[in-house]
Amino acid sequence: MKHLTRRALSLVLALALLLSACGAFAEESTIIGSTIQYDTSKPINNGEDIAVEFWYWTGSDKLFQAVVDEYTAIHPNVKITLVENPWDDYWTKLPLALQGKDGPAIFNVHNSYHENVIGYLAPYDIPVEDLEADFVGVSAHIIDGKVYYTDYGMMTATMYYNKAMWAAAGLTEADIPKTWDEFREVAKKLTIRDENGNLVQAGFSFNGGAQGDVLGMQYQYGQNLFTADNKVSFNNDAIKAVIQRMKDIYEVDGSGDYNFGNNSGDNFGQGMIAMYLGWGFMHGLFQSLWPETEFGSFEIPTPTEEVPYAYHRYNGESTFGVNKNAPADQQAVAQDIIRFFLAKDALQKQFVLANSVFPAKKSLAEDADILGVSSIAVLANHIDRYIWPGPMPSAVENNMKIALEDIFYNGADIETALKNAEETCNMELEGSEFVSVEPQYTYASEAK
Amino acid sequence: MQKRIKSANSLRSKSEIVLRNTVVASLILFFLVFFYIPIFAAFYGSFHLWNPLKGQFKPIGLKNWQTVLNNSLFWFSMKNTGVFSIVAVAARVIIGLLLASALFSKLVKARSFFRMLYYMPTITPMVAVAFVWKNMYDPQFGLLNQLLGSKINWLFDGRYAMIAILLLTIWKDFGYAVVIFLGGMYSLPMDCFEAAEIDGANARQRFFRITLPLLKPTVIFIVITSFISYFQTYIPVMVLTQGGPGTKTYLASYLIFDQAFSKYNFGYASAMSFILFLIIAILTAVSFKAAGENGQ
Amino acid sequence: MKTMRIKSLVLTFLLLAFSIITILPFLWMLASSFKTNAEISALSQHFLPQNPTWENYENALSKMAFLRYFLNSLSYAFVLSVITIYTSAIAGFVLCKYEFRGRQMVFGMVIATMMVPGVVTIIPRYSMMQYLGWLNQFQALIIPSLFTAFGIFLMRQSCTAVPDEILEAARIDGANEFYIFHRIVIPMLRNTVASMAIFQFLWAWEDYLWPYLMIRSESKQLLSIALNMFSGRYSTDYAGLFAATSIAIIPVVICYLIFQKQFIQGIASSAVKG
Repeated sequence: MKHLTRRALSLVLALALLLSACGAFAEESTIIGSTIQYDTSKPINNGEDIAVEFWYWTGSDKLFQAVVDEYTAIHPNVKITLVENPWDDYWTKLPLALQGKDGPAIFNVHNSYHENVIGYLAPYDIPVEDLEADFVGVSAHIIDGKVYYTDYGMMTATMYYNKAMWAAAGLTEADIPKTWDEFREVAKKLTIRDENGNLVQAGFSFNGGAQGDVLGMQYQYGQNLFTADNKVSFNNDAIKAVIQRMKDIYEVDGSGDYNFGNNSGDNFGQGMIAMYLGWGFMHGLFQSLWPETEFGSFEIPTPTEEVPYAYHRYNGESTFGVNKNAPADQQAVAQDIIRFFLAKDALQKQFVLANSVFPAKKSLAEDADILGVSSIAVLANHIDRYIWPGPMPSAVENNMKIALEDIFYNGADIETALKNAEETCNMELEGSEFVSVEPQYTYASEAK
Repeated sequence: MQKRIKSANSLRSKSEIVLRNTVVASLILFFLVFFYIPIFAAFYGSFHLWNPLKGQFKPIGLKNWQTVLNNSLFWFSMKNTGVFSIVAVAARVIIGLLLASALFSKLVKARSFFRMLYYMPTITPMVAVAFVWKNMYDPQFGLLNQLLGSKINWLFDGRYAMIAILLLTIWKDFGYAVVIFLGGMYSLPMDCFEAAEIDGANARQRFFRITLPLLKPTVIFIVITSFISYFQTYIPVMVLTQGGPGTKTYLASYLIFDQAFSKYNFGYASAMSFILFLIIAILTAVSFKAAGENGQ
Repeated sequence: MKTMRIKSLVLTFLLLAFSIITILPFLWMLASSFKTNAEISALSQHFLPQNPTWENYENALSKMAFLRYFLNSLSYAFVLSVITIYTSAIAGFVLCKYEFRGRQMVFGMVIATMMVPGVVTIIPRYSMMQYLGWLNQFQALIIPSLFTAFGIFLMRQSCTAVPDEILEAARIDGANEFYIFHRIVIPMLRNTVASMAIFQFLWAWEDYLWPYLMIRSESKQLLSIALNMFSGRYSTDYAGLFAATSIAIIPVVICYLIFQKQFIQGIASSAVKG
């Protein structure tokens, strides 16, 4: 092994010498990126051997391996050890590991755990203006003039529909609903019951975790999620209307049932349900887990034909973080990996496609392959009409989940459940430093 | 009480003093360092706004304790924990005794084979079996509904969700009780049984008049250790229901774990765990006392 | 004799019925480990896989360094069991057979720790390990578990069955306490040693939170933690998990069988002596 790396090293050195010999050629081929640039000919850590740990959560091993492979191909003196942890455990273990000096130098970040990791992050050494020139949405990540992580893509929800069921119900492209009323009619047509009235196929299902979407559809009515003093607002007419509509779809229209499958995403893939409101990542999941199920996407319906305040909420998929407690030489490598990752469009594209998110990198906004993904394509026209409330603490979704289960499964009334959830959530947020970025939304002035 | 033979004036040997001092000193040192100091640190922390991630450790007096005492979810989950523990302990003791006495009987063949089977759930990692059961509870394609011919939405119906968690727990743990009871039965003096058999006592009489009274220390042991461990259950809740539907299956330990390791509200979590600790301590003291009064 | 026959049949039948309930989830898991994820969650279900596949096993074995995790778990569980059995026996013996001032207090201090919810002590302990630089070290798993209150309780209980006369006789013969403990008491505790071996070994085998927090590098990872690698952020790879759990169980069953033999011998010998 050692011999091999040494040989590879001498090869690279020889190559580098050769390249620098023919100056003009080298200059063109070693610089990647537009504003944020990466010079592949520049050695890292003076070309001396160095090892860093890179942590990420289960489910994206190929992506991270790609970053490591491409980076170490340029810098064979860097040894990157990928450490995988399951999603839940990751957030238990990472913050504890970051407390000491021996935590990972670089790690994957998710903004829902912003508060748990922000204290351990070192700011990017890339100037903020450069980041803003290449990426959208950077402004929401600036803290005291510095950026600690930003987004490589924006993930949101779109409506997925089963193409075979669509056709079997006699529906065509022209029937794709724009408003919720139209949607409910379509859902009825897509529902199939047997002679005893038992569901065989649900037109629509939101079982098993609708909280992420309920906390987004209220924007359609111009209702922000947070008040001016950064408290949540659950118990409002917009959220009540959203929940009432969900209940009506099941209880009045009979287009679905609370006990017909517990995980609407899986159930859509299994062919139990015809329509499903899912986030971008489901696109890839459907393709890998249920390749037989043919599906399409359309944008989330709205209350009226008019353009709403916002269609839904989006959430940024974050770029990596640098551990500020790591040794300086490791931090330098981590910073270098991030620059490489941000500068290289091919890697950006790989990450965007794997998670079916709308690219944050401006140079990829018109990319044909990315727009070929149906769930991304439907957003392309007005991605600016999706709002980001900021890195919401997980308490917000957790308490909405409890409220919804109380309403849907335990027979609680909407008002009481929302009131309780709002109180508990605001109590839990008391110690939090969360600040809503809803006021920074382009159309913030249209809010009610 | 065991009668002590050692007379007051018999001199303790040197080796006894060495052994005693070494053992007592290491016990005190070990439990001080790994239990009492951490417990004290946590107790002290319960009076603070304590978030290790933010390096926050701000004294806030009794605030955490007040919040816990006024938190209806905490008391609801304490009630759940109580019901859960009582049912789980009762099931463990009854099933354990029943199967152990069947396995103790010489009438049964292939006893080690059964013993092996019954112990299998206990030796399989909890996280793994919890996922298996989660699949079995599925309303549409789960094994349980297929076997029972039912259409129950086990994990999302408030009437069944706690039962579902209990079923998994009982299934996972009864083997432990079987083995302990069996160990207890084998250590009982055989002549008692022989005498009873000669006296013409039938199997049921033998069980209630001889086996059970003699096994009492084992029963108490199982009851106490089971209560302690069931008061700390959280993995099945985490995998199966996450406390849902709504908050129907919240157990105190799950709430504490959630506050400590997902919200990093350490002070608050510590206050809750101390209340849990107090309740366990009282219950244990009561059981010991009850056992003592019954002549054990 | 005939009634005995019938009784025997009825009992055996009952035990058999209970075994089926016990084993069914395992059989179902084993069957499912040969299915694809789509088949596991398909609407029309069959107990046996329709198109059996080895893929899950291949994936499980290639995805994780299975043998390494297994050996790690095995050595961790073995070392921990041997140590705690010995420390529990010696502490149980001292706390049971020696009269000294503060004995009840020391025993109480030990037993009280059984009631403390684990979450209370975990964070301060974590900081301790961090301070000592023991993170990701084997001793971080062993040292904080050198003594177990449960084991001491168990051993002290069974020490009460050791007759004082025997100890006294040995003392009169000039035996020192170490000899008495190792040569007389431990053999008499065989029964408890065997059962503690089983419990301790299997607890260590499925121990989760503490080793999870302590061990970071893949080469030192334990099997019970590696099994959780199948739950992704959005979906769980049930097929992979079932395959891995199925292989993980087989060695444990074998270990249990080995221990069980000693267990039965221990029981038998103590039962003969009365």
